[in-house]
Amino acid sequence: MVITDMKEEYGIIEDREPILIISGLHKRYSEGKSNEVHAIRGLDLTVRKGDMMAIMGPSGCGKTTLLNMIGHLDRRSEGKIIIDNIDTSRLSDGKMTSFRRDKIGFIFQLFNLFPFLSAVENVETPLLLKGIKAGVAREQAKMLLRELGMGDRLYHLPSELSGGQQQRVAVARALITDPAIILGDEPTGDLDSTTSTDVMKLFRRINQINQQTLVLVTHNRWIAEQCDYIVHMTDGKISHFEQGPFNKEENAK
Amino acid sequence: MGLKSSFMIAARSLLRRKTKNLSAILAVTLGVTLLVGIQITTDTLENSFLTSLLQGEGEVDFSVSNSTTTGYLTAADAETISDIVPSAVGIMPELTMEVPVMVGSQYDDSVELAGISTDYPDAFGSFYDWQTGEEMHLDALLVSNTTIILSSKQAEKLGLTEETMLPLNLTTEFTNTTGTVVEPPTLSLADWTVEESYTTVLYDLNSSSSYFSLNLEQSPLPGVVPSLVTLFKMNISMLDLSDFDYLNVTATGTSNIQVLLQFSLDDGSNFNVTNLEDASLPVDIDTLNAAFDLSPYADRTLRGDAFLVVMSADGMPASIEISEIAFETSKPVISYSSEVERTTLQVVGIFDSKHPGIGSQYSGAILRIEHVQQWLALQDREKEFDRVSSYLVALQTDHFTSEISEDYLQEQVDIVEAAIPETVDPDTGDSEKIYTVSSARLTFFSVAEIIMTLLSTMLTALGLLITITGVLLITNVQLMNVEDREFQTGVMRAVGENRRGITMSMLIENVFQGILGGIFGLIGGLGFGQTVANYLANIFGTGEFSVQPVVSQQVVILSVLIGVVLGVVTGVLPALRASRVNIVEALRGIKVTFEEKSGRNLVLLGILATAGGVFVLLINGVIDTSYEGIWLTEGWNTLDEWRNILIGSGLLFTGLGMVLSRFISRVKALNITAFAVWGAPVFLFVVAMGEWIPDISGLAPDILIIGVAEIVIGSVLLVSVNLPPLMRALRTFLVKIRGVKGVGQIAPALISSHKTRSTLTFAIFAVILTLNVTVATLVPTNLSSIIETEEDSRGVDLIVSLNMPEANITGLSYTEELYKIDSHITDVIGFKTYKSLTDYQRYLALADPYSSDFDYETDLLPLGYGVITTEQIRGNATDSFDSNWRYDFYLSSFPDAIGQPPVADVTDEQLNSMSKQAWDLFFASAYTMPAYNVSLSDLMSEDRDLNDIDFTSFSGYSGYELEDVEVLRDENGSVIENPIVFTDSFLLPLGMQVWIPMNTSESGFPAYQAFTIAGRLDSQRAGGFPLSSFNLLSGDDFNFMDALGNIYMNEYWANQTSYLAEADGETSTARAPEQYNKFLIKTTYAMDDPQIQSIAQAIEEFTNTDDEGYRSLAEDNFYVASTTILYSKIEQSMEMIQRVVSFLQIYVTFGLVIGAVGMTVISVRNVSERKREIGMMRAIGFPRTQVMLSVLLELVVLGIIGLAIGVVNGVLISVGFANMQGATLVIPWNDIFVYLGFITAIAIAAGAVPGWFASRIPPAEALRYVG
Repeated sequence: MVITDMKEEYGIIEDREPILIISGLHKRYSEGKSNEVHAIRGLDLTVRKGDMMAIMGPSGCGKTTLLNMIGHLDRRSEGKIIIDNIDTSRLSDGKMTSFRRDKIGFIFQLFNLFPFLSAVENVETPLLLKGIKAGVAREQAKMLLRELGMGDRLYHLPSELSGGQQQRVAVARALITDPAIILGDEPTGDLDSTTSTDVMKLFRRINQINQQTLVLVTHNRWIAEQCDYIVHMTDGKISHFEQGPFNKEENAK
Repeated sequence: MGLKSSFMIAARSLLRRKTKNLSAILAVTLGVTLLVGIQITTDTLENSFLTSLLQGEGEVDFSVSNSTTTGYLTAADAETISDIVPSAVGIMPELTMEVPVMVGSQYDDSVELAGISTDYPDAFGSFYDWQTGEEMHLDALLVSNTTIILSSKQAEKLGLTEETMLPLNLTTEFTNTTGTVVEPPTLSLADWTVEESYTTVLYDLNSSSSYFSLNLEQSPLPGVVPSLVTLFKMNISMLDLSDFDYLNVTATGTSNIQVLLQFSLDDGSNFNVTNLEDASLPVDIDTLNAAFDLSPYADRTLRGDAFLVVMSADGMPASIEISEIAFETSKPVISYSSEVERTTLQVVGIFDSKHPGIGSQYSGAILRIEHVQQWLALQDREKEFDRVSSYLVALQTDHFTSEISEDYLQEQVDIVEAAIPETVDPDTGDSEKIYTVSSARLTFFSVAEIIMTLLSTMLTALGLLITITGVLLITNVQLMNVEDREFQTGVMRAVGENRRGITMSMLIENVFQGILGGIFGLIGGLGFGQTVANYLANIFGTGEFSVQPVVSQQVVILSVLIGVVLGVVTGVLPALRASRVNIVEALRGIKVTFEEKSGRNLVLLGILATAGGVFVLLINGVIDTSYEGIWLTEGWNTLDEWRNILIGSGLLFTGLGMVLSRFISRVKALNITAFAVWGAPVFLFVVAMGEWIPDISGLAPDILIIGVAEIVIGSVLLVSVNLPPLMRALRTFLVKIRGVKGVGQIAPALISSHKTRSTLTFAIFAVILTLNVTVATLVPTNLSSIIETEEDSRGVDLIVSLNMPEANITGLSYTEELYKIDSHITDVIGFKTYKSLTDYQRYLALADPYSSDFDYETDLLPLGYGVITTEQIRGNATDSFDSNWRYDFYLSSFPDAIGQPPVADVTDEQLNSMSKQAWDLFFASAYTMPAYNVSLSDLMSEDRDLNDIDFTSFSGYSGYELEDVEVLRDENGSVIENPIVFTDSFLLPLGMQVWIPMNTSESGFPAYQAFTIAGRLDSQRAGGFPLSSFNLLSGDDFNFMDALGNIYMNEYWANQTSYLAEADGETSTARAPEQYNKFLIKTTYAMDDPQIQSIAQAIEEFTNTDDEGYRSLAEDNFYVASTTILYSKIEQSMEMIQRVVSFLQIYVTFGLVIGAVGMTVISVRNVSERKREIGMMRAIGFPRTQVMLSVLLELVVLGIIGLAIGVVNGVLISVGFANMQGATLVIPWNDIFVYLGFITAIAIAAGAVPGWFASRIPPAEALRYVG
């Protein structure tokens, strides 16, 4: 099995539950047409609970596609994805949506906050979608934002916030539902280096305190090195696997 | 980068952004469709109005008719006319008469029988069969003088359908005059009395044996000079000498007898018949026997004393025997007596009277002209067979599609007019034309002009309001264009495109969209125009042939140009705004906000507007002193003052808002402006119209438009400014509901974040629905107010009219028979009415008929007469204080002794009590009221505006009060006071002096009695309402004569007339005391109970069945009862309003379509530009349903805001109208729910497809989307 392979190959000690298991994943764009693009070509990957993983690779290697597959923003062509012990291949669109809402948090390069909603409104929206009472949702969102140091920016619109602040809001929105996994697509790509460091510190903190699983796509070596593991991709496949310099388990040893 | 690059960028964005581009073109298309369509609609409406007016004229341009006094046209005159107007393409003779007809039980009291020649000129068109549409050939159809063809209009009136089998019998009455030769009068010889004082002889008069001879023997008195004279005297009654040619005296006597017969004439002169004339001749009794020629005295009347002097020429005894003094005529004097004879005519065909051409000219029946001449000859033996009532002349063919030039027509009419010889009236010395030339077409041109100016203003104004919605739509789409493209603009600026280039490329796009939209819009507008034309054809009932869409070239070009310019202009501002975009912000995706405080320019503009507003407000009272200033209470009580108040306050508060926005937050400043702009007209409608403004007759369309425009603008602004809090409230509400929490989070926020766009969208609906709700409210409000006052005032339920007075048979009373028909009938009130159709000697005189100024052509009005008896109104009550009063017969104007009601609200009870007092005066025949110096011409003359006529109640002319008018005085300076009459005619002003012909004297002249119009029946309430002539205005068979109304007299005066009583003994028109012809019936049922219908049916069956029921009782099968249910009469009178409403409906439909398409455009664009946001929504877990719901909800909310504004505004405006009329406001909830449903449906339809697509986009793809 994949898990065993990985264990053997990289010598990873299996002491935590795998939270994400990908096996035999393929993604082809414009399937069946002459301009078919085979973006993911049979990819296997396992992420355990509490892992903080970076995916690196040159442009067009399929990083973002892979992330979209994991986040179920796009349909895969074939293969299996199991998140939090749920095999998602049989989920209907409705189930998939609630699955996405409950299990996955997204952080994007362009933040993708609703421009017409204030910070706190952006953050509480996933809770409202879960059907949580508006008042409760608002309180939770405020709490979280305060925790993330955004207590004085609660009612600002995204356009009134700096990039780093926007990304904090985005992080808060991703965190608020306590997802099984947070996916970050170049989360610091749009930020300067100081802000980027701040945001990465934040990610690290979340990862360590909450045992929050994070998968980040980046082409920034420095960012990748903040993670426990770095997965290198080329041509839609994982080329090799690397441990981050600050791997907590390494440090723990 | 230059123009070329602008073109390239424009071309690319046009090609690549198909959806957005198409939506922009669609918006312009719609806008232009609207402009072209509204213009065509307005023009077509004008044209169809004119056509409907002129339809009855067929192809006739003018007619030459007999002038009533002298001569008549004959067959030979066709030549003459053709010589005078050589350009005429058709000249045809026509002879018409009016008769009552009956088919089965259907009766019509005046149907025009028109005699025409069967080979009439082709220029007049043809008759077409109403069923088959085939041409009808009169030669084959009209074979005898009892065969006729009937117009489809008349056929429908008589209840015939296309299934009715022809030929069918039609009963009519012709007056058959028979003459008997009258013996000329002789002077009764026994009536001579001897004047002793002048008589100098012993005479021996021997006349006892016979009245026909006078035997006289004279001998001298003893001792007296032998001049033997006997003088006789006799009083002679009036005798018109024009009837006689000579006077014959038959006498024999001795040769020395001399005779002098002297007659007095009306002018004080006299003439003599004598054998004394020439002293040189020997006395000869035979000279006396020669016929004395009376022709020199033909104009004179014999009256006063006559003398007969008999003398002896030589003093010797003489004797004479006169056997006869007789007036003789060479042609026999014939006395005519006319008798009505019933004849059966056969209807052999029915022609389509809606088909343009000769058929549309006639609404009655057609006979051969020879046959009408025969029928008319029966009626008037004196007249010859060869006569024609008029010649109809056509100057061109096909008037229905090509209008004749007004100038040319006028010119031709003038030529004919000038060619007609004149004759001098021997009495007055006035010369007059022996024939009259009239051109209804020419008259209608000018009448139509007046009405069209009024109508046009209204239509243009409404069209303008609706057009605004088109402009809103285009602006909206253009605005979206820019918002949409801020990112792109940022990029372009970043790579070095200058501002001009950006503006340029956007303008190129706009022009392209404008032109394309203009072309499509033109096509759409033409299509719409056609649809409207068809619709109008139905409304006017003139048939589709006569209403064609009027497409004037200039209008089309102008509209398209405006469309293009509009597209560009509405694009320029956004384009400029785009070019100013802050590059960094645009690239960062920060939406440009305009919430910062105002600049100095705006403040300056605000100060100007404020000053302008103050100036306009000061016009009242300061600049124009004919208005009172606004600081006075009186400054608020006329609509003209309000015009300035509305404009002034609008400007003032707009300016203030602008200035204030520099100092306080813009939201607060705009709130003040919006509230004031909205509040001023609301105050006008809700408060002022009800209480402060007593007279709303001057409600000109411009005040209405200003008011409505301000209300709409103000309310839209008010909502727009307060959109964020409103949306927050909506969010708070929605996030509490399971399943839509996400929607609640997104949709309201979206609406308030795109404030301008949202505002423009709901503004479209707000404009349309304000108009629509106003209109929809007016109709039921009017209806309910009438029903309410009717019910409150114990009105009648049913009116029965007999075609002639009930039979005068002892023991038979129609009233009693009616009671027997249904036990629910509680009261039957019989009335006597009389209407003179053709006998102008029975017309009402508006000037003193005995004065020399009297002109029977202008001073007579064919009003009807009626008698109202104390029993009908008061029942057993003796006066107004008696509680047994029978019938609450309301008046709206009152005699002097009561005074007029203050204009402000009068309660029904007060009105009732005043009315009762007025009736007391009416029945007290001793009461007289001064006549006032008012005349009909006040109403008709040019310096009186149409606005002065109070059309809303049609209760008459409201523009004057009697206090301002002088009392009439006679030559001695004393006030002229007359007995009083009441009227329901809207033409006759209160206080006017009129003369009613009471009887006809033996010499054939009517005897007139002067009256003062002292009261007017209330056409809105019981009593007056069922009798009111106004209600006829709305009926299908509008009859001008009937609409003129009636004069009501009390019993005393009615009994002096020969047509309401037996004043002259029993003549053909005389009426026995209880011989009624009109019956008002009260039942126990409610007014709108369908049971009344069955009572009405029972009454008709009872009266209208041959040889049964009343016809058998009265032994006359010509009795016809027609029943009118009052409730249906009310409904009918609403029809006119509903017609106006249906015009408005056209515009409103237009607006709703614009709104619908606008929504679709907005929804499509929303989805396509928000792809990325939709991706985010999906990414964080929005289910598809909620994505779709957010798209839908945005539209529904905007639609409902529009609806809410519309309903509130509409109701507020209607409150004003309801207050004015003292009506209870009825809000048409049904209609409002229909609009609600419609808007929701549009929103769902417009949002569903894009929404569905949106929810289907894979989130990953959506997230990749950039602008």
